[in-house]
Amino acid sequence: MKKIEWLMNTKIWRSIFRTKLPISTNLDRSLVIFNSLTLHIHPVKVREKAIRFSYTFYLGMISFFLFVILIVTGILLMLYYQPAIPNAYQNMKDIQYVVSNGTFLRNMHRWSAHLMVFTVFLHMLRVFFKGAYKPPREFNWIIGVILLLLTLLLSYTGYLLPYDQLSYWAVTVGANIVKYVPFIGTKIRFLLLGGNQIGDYTLVRFYVLHCVILPSVMLLLVALHFWRIRKDGGLL
Amino acid sequence: MEDKDKINNHNDSAKVITRRDFFNKIGTTATGVVLLGSLGVTLDFLSPNVLLEIPKEFKIGPLENIQPDSVIDNAEHHVFIFREHPGSFYAVSSICTHLGCNTKWNPAGIEGHPEGVIACPCHGSIFDKKGNVLHGPAPRSLDRFLVRVENDKLVINTDEIVSEDKMIVKV
Repeated sequence: MKKIEWLMNTKIWRSIFRTKLPISTNLDRSLVIFNSLTLHIHPVKVREKAIRFSYTFYLGMISFFLFVILIVTGILLMLYYQPAIPNAYQNMKDIQYVVSNGTFLRNMHRWSAHLMVFTVFLHMLRVFFKGAYKPPREFNWIIGVILLLLTLLLSYTGYLLPYDQLSYWAVTVGANIVKYVPFIGTKIRFLLLGGNQIGDYTLVRFYVLHCVILPSVMLLLVALHFWRIRKDGGLL
Repeated sequence: MEDKDKINNHNDSAKVITRRDFFNKIGTTATGVVLLGSLGVTLDFLSPNVLLEIPKEFKIGPLENIQPDSVIDNAEHHVFIFREHPGSFYAVSSICTHLGCNTKWNPAGIEGHPEGVIACPCHGSIFDKKGNVLHGPAPRSLDRFLVRVENDKLVINTDEIVSEDKMIVKV
């Protein structure tokens, strides 16, 4: 205990952790939560009811952890995947049958993605039925809706990457739905596909959207979403 | 003292542009021009100039190799080429007008339509052999392409879409 106390008083420790461990006083306990990036999602004082499992079912956090799993497994999958025709399909098959633990990794990514759509949707229902979208939380509800759309877009862009028959026709149908946008539909479809039909450019475009653009936007908005929970007065 | 008064008077009528206002305006305008320009340049960049897609124009033939009352399903260009008995040809797109799936020629027809039909596997649209919608959800008939005869071959360009009464070429 004495050694720990000595360690906590060293200059290096004090430079990393700004507060003492929450063991001696109520002030220390409050300060840990107040100053911690990961814990200050809750206000300093929280009603016991609001942190009970049956209150939120932890759906937001489950969605976030699934997103973390998706980032980690996704980065690993990127190491064996080339977004080109015909490499893409062969790489996907190689990940399943040649790469060590590849099937496990791919299935983790796949099932987490399916599950994330499901939990994000349930999260939205929970917030709706608890009335937690009401002022002053209406802006956070809008961010949440954008996050739901981003989740769906990530699912959609990821669907093309294995480049099998399912991918091809799903994206054909999706791109033709885009074509129904008035006036600029055909142009958007052309930009999305990088051509008039699905080809090499489409695969690269969907790959960049799936691996760079959409996750970055997602991460920024998730940070804003969490920050707003705290600023809007905690969970409700 | 006199100068100062002058400037103040002018400021009141908001007519004089001070040095600060001038540079602020120049700076804001320049930033705006650069932002708009880069947006345009980026949009231009995103739209590819060279596409490695198959050519729109293709040839089918020679004519005597096409059986009367037959259908050629050209999968590469997604076109059905029909020859009707006396020697009239026409070409209908095989891409469904609903959401772009590949349709199939079904010579035996289906219930209620004993003659041959074009059917889409994705959402169940059905067309007659001229491309007219028999059953939704397809919102409009299949595209018909202009057919020309050159050197005993049919020349079809999928960019030249024509109406039903102009699609048939007689030889």
